Amino acid sequence: MMPINNLILVTGQVILLVLFAPLVSGFIRKIKNNLRMRKGPSVLQPYYNVQKLISKDEVISRHASWIFLAAPVIVFASIICALFLVLLAQLGPFGNNDMAILIAAFFVLGLGRFFLALAGLDTASSFGGMGSSREMFISSFAEPIAFVAVFVLCMSGADTFRISTLLAGFAILMVTLAETSRVPVDNQETHLELTMVHEAMVLEYSGRSLALIELASHTKQIIFFILLSWYFFPSMTGGVWGWVIFPGKIAIISLAIALIELSVAKMRLFRVVDFLSFSFFIALLASIAAGLGI
Amino acid sequence: MMLSIILSGFLVATFLLVVAKRITALIRSFRIQAIFLSLYALYMGLSQRHLEMFIVCGLIFVLKAIVIPFVLLRIIRRINVEEDLGLLVNPQLSLIIALGFTYLSYLFAHNAMALTDPVESAALAVSITVVCLGFFIMVSRMKAVAQIIGLLVMENGIFLAASAISGGMPFFVEIAFFFDIFVFVIIIEVFVYKVNRLFTHIDTSKMKSLKG
Repeated sequence: MMPINNLILVTGQVILLVLFAPLVSGFIRKIKNNLRMRKGPSVLQPYYNVQKLISKDEVISRHASWIFLAAPVIVFASIICALFLVLLAQLGPFGNNDMAILIAAFFVLGLGRFFLALAGLDTASSFGGMGSSREMFISSFAEPIAFVAVFVLCMSGADTFRISTLLAGFAILMVTLAETSRVPVDNQETHLELTMVHEAMVLEYSGRSLALIELASHTKQIIFFILLSWYFFPSMTGGVWGWVIFPGKIAIISLAIALIELSVAKMRLFRVVDFLSFSFFIALLASIAAGLGI
Repeated sequence: MMLSIILSGFLVATFLLVVAKRITALIRSFRIQAIFLSLYALYMGLSQRHLEMFIVCGLIFVLKAIVIPFVLLRIIRRINVEEDLGLLVNPQLSLIIALGFTYLSYLFAHNAMALTDPVESAALAVSITVVCLGFFIMVSRMKAVAQIIGLLVMENGIFLAASAISGGMPFFVEIAFFFDIFVFVIIIEVFVYKVNRLFTHIDTSKMKSLKG
């Protein structure tokens, strides 16, 4: 049974991170625009977007069922729940218990994804169905990689740089690019393109529901950044120092993601399979290394 | 700690070489591998305080990360060959085979060599893996450029093995090696050029029949 003060700590962290999450998206967009010699919107633009969407009216298709209405809430709730579980795993040194917690976190994320895909299909618009099928296609490859990489972390522990955790971290980096719809897999900056994945799925949403979905995707991004920070910044969680250097860690990861996004071109959809299968084999390699204790 | 970072980067670069489908991707991955190898030499120089290792590091960087890729890219531009590598084994299956090689060399390094430090035995395992995978690239990719790269990858692995077991070869052997490699690449460049002019391709699988 968990002590009550840990519960309060984790709850506080969840609230802070949800408030902090849109800032990270804004920060990445700002870095990308600056490197392209453009001015770009302010770092706070995601907050303005959410504020604008909340104040707007919602348009709901006549053919939409209850799934369409419920999906944004379920998605947001599942991502909050996953964030809670991930932060819970972060409390102590990594071990077998955390493996169970993290599996639960990924399955809860899967619940949210399932409902989002259903909502994309619900209004029977051609874009929505296409987006849903693509999202499921990509995530069915991305999920096993995340599982293997997390197993590696729980087997070898995150106290220092090891070959196993670094390789697993590399795999998770590629999963992060796929799951947060970053450039080699998807492009967040375009709307109404035939190549889009995530945006196609939520195309029918407007107003308050869209605000909730956007907030959920910012939070999901934070979850994956926390996962990445375990691999690439070992033994830097917990204590007062953990609080102080956390923004620094997230900033470094954001910078790395922005640089990757600028330096590669978007892949054809069926090339994504090659990209993710490479990542899966790197994760397997990491698990071999973890089994041999290096 | 630094050694783990360098070794995992080296291993990922080797897997990138295995998964490459196009000639330019292969050369680019080779450049990444060479950069990690020179970092390794730099680390060895810093930890053992050998001046010679710093020179070796500089040589690796200049020769393998800059000159050799440049020469190879030049020959590709000059003979205007298509990008396809002529894969006998597709990338996914290659990765599975590479994974098998890696596991076997981990086992070999753990059992055959009684190295006390796990990271040092990992360095040996990685070097054996790299030698095997260089050989695998030579065997299963049919374009002449891939064979050059495969040989160079094997050489990288041997350098890593030598420094993992005994802390590096004697300095003059090392220098002679680099000179050898450099001359090899220059000769092969001319050779590939000639082959392409005679046969109008550089596919080694089509070279079984005699041509008058």
